[in-house]
Amino acid sequence: MRQHNQTQLRVDRGKRSTTNKAPAIAPGKSRGLETRRTKRRPVSKMVLFGALSMASYFLLFSNEQLVTQTYTLGGWYAAFPVLTAFLFSFVHGAFASNLLSVLGIEAKKTVTS
Amino acid sequence: MKKFVLLLLTILLLMPVLDKAHAGGPPPKNVLKGVFTSVDREQHTVILQVDGSGKLKKLIVGEELALEEVPLGKKVLVSLDPHAGPDVIKDVSVMFMDMTVIKIFAFLMVGLIGGLLSGFIGSGGAFVLTPAMMSLGAPGAVAVASNMCHKFPKAMVGAFKRWKYGQADIKLGLVMAVTAIIGVQIGIKVQKFILNHWGNAGSNLYVSVVFVCVLLLVGAYVLFDAYKLAKGTGEEKQSSLALSLQKINLWPMMEFKVAKVRISAWITIPVGLMTGMLAATIAVGGFIGVPGMIYVVGASALVASATELIVAFIMGAWGSIQWGLSGLIDIRMTLLILAGSLIGVQLGALGTTYVKDYMIKLVMAAVMLIVAVSRGAKIPGYLADLNIGPVLGERLAFVLNTISFWALIAALAVAGVIITVAMIRGMIQAKVEERQQSVEGALPHS
Repeated sequence: MRQHNQTQLRVDRGKRSTTNKAPAIAPGKSRGLETRRTKRRPVSKMVLFGALSMASYFLLFSNEQLVTQTYTLGGWYAAFPVLTAFLFSFVHGAFASNLLSVLGIEAKKTVTS
Repeated sequence: MKKFVLLLLTILLLMPVLDKAHAGGPPPKNVLKGVFTSVDREQHTVILQVDGSGKLKKLIVGEELALEEVPLGKKVLVSLDPHAGPDVIKDVSVMFMDMTVIKIFAFLMVGLIGGLLSGFIGSGGAFVLTPAMMSLGAPGAVAVASNMCHKFPKAMVGAFKRWKYGQADIKLGLVMAVTAIIGVQIGIKVQKFILNHWGNAGSNLYVSVVFVCVLLLVGAYVLFDAYKLAKGTGEEKQSSLALSLQKINLWPMMEFKVAKVRISAWITIPVGLMTGMLAATIAVGGFIGVPGMIYVVGASALVASATELIVAFIMGAWGSIQWGLSGLIDIRMTLLILAGSLIGVQLGALGTTYVKDYMIKLVMAAVMLIVAVSRGAKIPGYLADLNIGPVLGERLAFVLNTISFWALIAALAVAGVIITVAMIRGMIQAKVEERQQSVEGALPHS
């Protein structure tokens, strides 16, 4: 699994220091570019969470009538909307995070140094 | 782990008190939920099957409402008029609007930009989402509830991201959230006092005046500060007020490691209380919370905006449970907005890593000042209601209302553009720097 940015950054810096000792990169080639090229983009994870998210939305909206009636009964039924919001934030949030990574939009690397 | 267990125990012990504590405005009273089953035209009454219990209740239709306006077979929110007598209907609104493609698209877009703003400055989005939902046909109470329910998962994701970037101060966030919830209770009491003394129009006027004064004063100061920083080196220094307040050595002293601040609790508590009071009054506490954390506590704009997301998460989650207990959340609206805002909030959060501190202040000031215009446009109407100002013509009232709504959209659009441009610039600059570094690093080996 891909690690969090904070951890990943440390790994990146580690990689840099080792490459300094053993120049595995061809002369004239930029190491920054090399790291970027070898970095794997989480396409499969994006597709997986995207499909899960789509399925959840489809399931909910195809049972719109039942859902809106049940979720607004009040009292203990309050757990339904709150837990659903939590669930969607995990699934759709993971999709969104992977989508941004796949698009190459990531946090600036020096931020945690 | 020990701290976590302690926290959970405290929450459990406080449960009976928390039950009465609101995290936003309280759910409305004198409101019934249910489905109309029949209409009696002769007696001017309707039968409502009340939600939950399933009991049938006979209600009298008030003079302001025509019988033709009573929808049968649809879930409705019924506002009662206690002054006109028991069980007299004042107003009826259908709880669930029909979703059209345009509405879905509008929710996605507003969610995306609202999320972007939220991830970037820690709050925002809420001020435009509730009016947007209402203008698309949702009853006010349902709009507030659904907005609240979308706020906490969005803030949770945003706070997590910014915590990962090392920007969020969890301890400061918890202190602020707890004191803000107390502040909300005070805010509600003040509102009730005003409502009892000056009625609905007085309450509206009070809210608007607070809104405009706070936003104009704080917004102008933040803008001035951002301008000063932009002209100078762009490096943020702690405000002189915060520095002198940090010297007050009054027990209990609190240390916030991420914010790099050691300050007396007697300074942080009022900031939290004010945040809560503002949240109860105008529904956006962050407009006081973030500047308060920057200029009074002494955190950087980056840390303050990230920490505000923790406050928003705690208050949003608590508020959602309360509004959920009243059964007012339209989960479809919540999830449609969430679809866009979960992408936006992460984009905004990572955007903060590319910009200088003053950019956050600039966006915040721009939003606050434009939102102030929106609320300011409503003041002449409220003054007329209280017979203090001249009565507005129909056309003028319409124009002012239109200005008020579109100013909110403009605030969102302006913020969206500033953030996007600043982020793209930052990214390009970072790439150039990275390339330069790698070229410099490669030179000795080549």
